Amino acid sequence: MLVVGAAAGSVGALFGIGGGVFLVPILNVAFGIPLRNAAAISLTTVVATSSSVAAGRIGTQLINLRLAMVLEVATVAGGLTGGLTAHLFSESSLQRTFGIVALAAAAGVGSRVNRRNVILDSTIDVGRLGGRFHEDESGGEIAYRVIRLPLALVASFVAGTISSLLGVGGGVVKVPALNAWCGVPLRAAAATSAFMIGVTATSGAIIYFGRGDLAPLMAAPVVLGVQLGSRAGLRLAERLPARWLKLSLSIVLVAVAATMFVRSF
Amino acid sequence: MLGAFMNDASRTSTLERQVGRILTTGIVASSVCLAVGLVLALAGREVATATLLKAGTGILLATPAARVVAAAIDYLRQRDWLFGGLVLVVLAELLASLFAAVG
Repeated sequence: MLVVGAAAGSVGALFGIGGGVFLVPILNVAFGIPLRNAAAISLTTVVATSSSVAAGRIGTQLINLRLAMVLEVATVAGGLTGGLTAHLFSESSLQRTFGIVALAAAAGVGSRVNRRNVILDSTIDVGRLGGRFHEDESGGEIAYRVIRLPLALVASFVAGTISSLLGVGGGVVKVPALNAWCGVPLRAAAATSAFMIGVTATSGAIIYFGRGDLAPLMAAPVVLGVQLGSRAGLRLAERLPARWLKLSLSIVLVAVAATMFVRSF
Repeated sequence: MLGAFMNDASRTSTLERQVGRILTTGIVASSVCLAVGLVLALAGREVATATLLKAGTGILLATPAARVVAAAIDYLRQRDWLFGGLVLVVLAELLASLFAAVG
């Protein structure tokens, strides 16, 4: 369980999506744990990953605190909704939903491989929710404005619901949406999403924990493994080009989707 | 104009530092509880294991909630009613899931 957690954590951190999208299928398919319990374990690891990643990145300007606070209103509402309705869905419909979500995210990221949301002129007015940070790959200060905020709120609500239902961080929805539609550069979108995910996953995890669907003895090794793995993944992510990250993320997501579809029938 | 910007930037970084401290403390405390709990599980101490694992999970889930509380206090103290209000809504949503869990 520790090794599984470490593997999922490192790959998750590499793409800034928390690892749940890999962890849940592994627990569900390889270990035969029902999806609802796998989701509960995964949500707990998501909380842990978010806290440790955010603690490490705070102060680097990658986390857009103000944008996070606004979107959390929507994403936690979604988390609550997902947590309350999780028991209404059958195992196979949850698996199919998981597959659809992974495919949609793959398409979102894949279509943006060659485009970048960076404005290298750092003197522009970034507005109330925009941000700026330093990036080595572009060799300077990067500034961005947040556009289409309502769309970001809707995506965050959907991400929160999916997060609680399926045990993923929801970054798999939020990162592509913020990147493709709302003008946020991939690295800032990933860091801000990873920061928000902790609160979102907490709202879902509390419900699973309180209802007895979360077994601490199973969750503990996975949580510790994910934390070890996510550190390694983060370090690696900083050295890899954004284009490569986007391309490999979409390929992995397609594979995850295929696995869940096959499993659901 | 520049003064307002500088003020805004330094305030954010104070909150950021505080959030960073809360997250680090929470993650270290919960990891220690979970790790010691697992070691005790291997040693066959069931009661201590259950207590520590529950405590570790509890601390883990309380950590993001604690940073929401810190943000609420900071924004309200700065009389930033818009962001203070938004963060309070998030806090209310978290409390709602706590009630749903025990209810």
